[in-house]
Amino acid sequence: MLLVYFGTDVIAAWGLNLQYGVAGVLNFGYIAAVAIGAYMFGALTLGPDSGNGGYQSYIIGLHLTPALGFLGAALSGCIFGGVIGLLGMRRLRPDYQAIVLLVVAVVALTVVQADTGLFNGNSGLSLIPNPVGLTGPATGNGWFYVAIVFGACIVCYRVLRRFTDGPLGRSLRALRDDDVAAAAIGKNVVALRILVQIVGGGFGALAGALLVGFIGAWSPSAWQFAESLSLLTAIIVGGYANNVGVIAGALLVPVIFQQATQYVPGLASNAELATDIGWMATAVLTIGFIWWRPGGIIAERRPRYGSGVRSRSRFSYAPLAMAPATVKERAPGSTPSDVGTAHEFTRPAVVAKGPSTTSTTSHDERAGSSSDEQSGRALLQVSDLAINFGGVRALESVTLEVAAGTITGLIGPNGAGKSTLVNCVSGFSKPDSGSVMFNGHDITRAPAYRSSRLGLVRTFQLSRQFSRLTAIENLLVARQHHPAESVLGVVAGLRYWKGAEEETVIRARGLLEMFEMTAKADELASNLSGGERRMIELMRALMTDPVLLVLDEPLAGLSPRWSERFEEAVRLLRESGITFLLIEHDLGIVERLCESVVVMARGRVLSTGSMSELRTRAEVQAAYVIG
Amino acid sequence: MVNTFISSIGFGIASGSVLALASLGFTLQFGLSNTLNVAYGAFVTLAAFLGYVLIALWGVNLWLAMAIVAVVIGVLSGAYYQGFIRNLIRRGAGMGPVTIATAAALIFIEYAIVSVAGPSVKSYGITTGRTYHFWDFVLSSTQLAIIALAVGLMLIFQVLLRVTQLGRSLRATAVNKTLARSCGIRVERVTSITWLISGLLCGTAGVALALTTQAFDFNVGSSFLILIIAAAVVGGIGEPYGAIFGGFLIGIATELSSAYFNPAYSQVFAFVLLVAVILIRPTGILGVKAKARV
Repeated sequence: MLLVYFGTDVIAAWGLNLQYGVAGVLNFGYIAAVAIGAYMFGALTLGPDSGNGGYQSYIIGLHLTPALGFLGAALSGCIFGGVIGLLGMRRLRPDYQAIVLLVVAVVALTVVQADTGLFNGNSGLSLIPNPVGLTGPATGNGWFYVAIVFGACIVCYRVLRRFTDGPLGRSLRALRDDDVAAAAIGKNVVALRILVQIVGGGFGALAGALLVGFIGAWSPSAWQFAESLSLLTAIIVGGYANNVGVIAGALLVPVIFQQATQYVPGLASNAELATDIGWMATAVLTIGFIWWRPGGIIAERRPRYGSGVRSRSRFSYAPLAMAPATVKERAPGSTPSDVGTAHEFTRPAVVAKGPSTTSTTSHDERAGSSSDEQSGRALLQVSDLAINFGGVRALESVTLEVAAGTITGLIGPNGAGKSTLVNCVSGFSKPDSGSVMFNGHDITRAPAYRSSRLGLVRTFQLSRQFSRLTAIENLLVARQHHPAESVLGVVAGLRYWKGAEEETVIRARGLLEMFEMTAKADELASNLSGGERRMIELMRALMTDPVLLVLDEPLAGLSPRWSERFEEAVRLLRESGITFLLIEHDLGIVERLCESVVVMARGRVLSTGSMSELRTRAEVQAAYVIG
Repeated sequence: MVNTFISSIGFGIASGSVLALASLGFTLQFGLSNTLNVAYGAFVTLAAFLGYVLIALWGVNLWLAMAIVAVVIGVLSGAYYQGFIRNLIRRGAGMGPVTIATAAALIFIEYAIVSVAGPSVKSYGITTGRTYHFWDFVLSSTQLAIIALAVGLMLIFQVLLRVTQLGRSLRATAVNKTLARSCGIRVERVTSITWLISGLLCGTAGVALALTTQAFDFNVGSSFLILIIAAAVVGGIGEPYGAIFGGFLIGIATELSSAYFNPAYSQVFAFVLLVAVILIRPTGILGVKAKARV
């Protein structure tokens, strides 16, 4: 029954698509999850003595009903995924992760083949009871089994969408597109990766269980490495990161596999050769699509939030013209800008003591020990920081402070260690010694996402964006503590977080309007110009409600007009209570904006003071000339 | 007890030298082009089978055949890089799609081989020749020759790397491609030549592997691939010394484990070592950069 194979392929491909297409984790070992499901189903539903004189030896043998068998199999897939996730999804380069995942599958295969006591070794398990009460396929009740598989597909699809769509799907895609930038806006990259391993593992295992219930037998030959590739092919051909596309892919790949062999002469009698040719055709198909159409037949589509156009997404928004007013209404006590335009910005949680548009649970953490941010207290304290890179002292005894409510500049010649300092402060590098205190918290060894969540948000020297999300999605994804990304959110679904999502969209549109980028809202980030990307990066940082915003050479590559707007924006934002640490080479801007400036050279802090003071100091001049 | 230990070391050196050679080729590709070329395993298989055709079917002298195969695989590897990998990267394919494409290439090549050569196990049928006794282990002349050859090739390669212009360009390109380009190094040419060299090493290793394992089938390369990756990563990916060190380490480790534990699990031991290194010291024992920044 081809339909059964199709259905189980779809479920398996969905799971792998969640891991690879949506979250960017290349899992060559996915087939191991399928195998676990198949084996567990067999092990759970077979009796202690398989009724054949016990020629099979395997573990468990509980003789459970098939329903429990399916459940148990899916669960074991989840556990397997969790273990793999904990082991392998740490802070590794993506290619190392791919290696670890592949190795896991190969190890599993080797162990199972070698140890006959585990799952009967190379012979595998057979005579697994068919849930429909018969052994073996191709009987009158085959259609009933198809119905079971179909029902499983429907259930899986509903569950799948909780993860691949909506804000959670958006965050996963962000992590796929740029995991560094994702951490910078507070996404716990490792946790999210473990999550998709667990969910994907469950899907794979269920697929395996459904398949083996139908076939009745399962052995190592069914789950060699090539099978993972065939699933990947289905995803690549059908539609990368697109659930419907994957269905098309799962349909097409086996068809191609079979059809290809029909056109090669002399194959009718040689089934093995036909299989080989089939595999070759699959490989060619994969390469062909990667070469010419990497998105697949049905490419990934992003929801549109644009104004004027009737929105295709499920949310209804106030037309954009009203957005600024709405923004104003939601920000009690915000000061009107004195630049003469109607631009507003929802004030960050630190200053607005009243109801804020973001969750208030983070409010206390961010408020820190003192509630008066105008006191000029040190928001950021770096003490004696040092870091080595392979023998080079990139930072040495660096001590500096950033007072709350100020704009502090950080200048110095190239190679002075400014970006390194930012990396250490924001958690992207671990200093060898010294400490970093932020708002009363010790963040010296904290991972990047943790500092971001506490309100220390940074931008990057080479602006980073989530290229396959639209401009507005780049902003939406930065919202902190989105209810959709919690366990409750996933379980309760759209109705639970719809309100929060609408708020977020309104805020994002407000920002876009403020920076005159409304027209580009639905443009894929990869299509934006350099200047636009930088602005998006700034806006994204603003969406996180930062307490301290660390900008790493934000004006590099911006036209004079954009630079002006940027400067104006920074001033405005400072009015509303955000503290800034600005790394810049344009000393004019530094002089205009920054009350206090820190000069670094060769990994050390050279001098601190106002710009005019610094201009007169000999060592600062020398540093810039000599470098 | 001590006998087992020493003889395992001995066999480990023999199998380790083949592994070191293969890993060196692999790590060159990974370190220079930053791609996980899964198809490397297929090239090993291809080498083994070409060797079979030359040695067992056409009766060509073993060492001549090895040289011929090495050159063929070298040229193929260079062409593979030029025509396939480089164009994929140029078309904007990210690391994921490129890796998948190489996996597809692996499948294609191996199934092409099996459709032509059939699934039965092959052997070069070389008689073992004279045996030599070293303390408590016995090595055949072929094994000794392979060790000598492997060590010799690795030495030549090290000389190449340190002394010649090409070697310097290679090292520069591996560290910083853009900078190398602005220094006038012809990065594309250096890369193609490096892939060619790695293909030479791969071809030699493939034939040597077929010799040492006696019997092989179309899966020989892909099973060996995992060991190759293990050796390269354990030693420090991208680092030539690391690959050599890793190769010998894994070779000896697998021999030891198969002597003391169930031989079927000997490979598992190597993988456990690999995963342990990745988790504890991802840069490898001799390597430099592997951790992500988040």
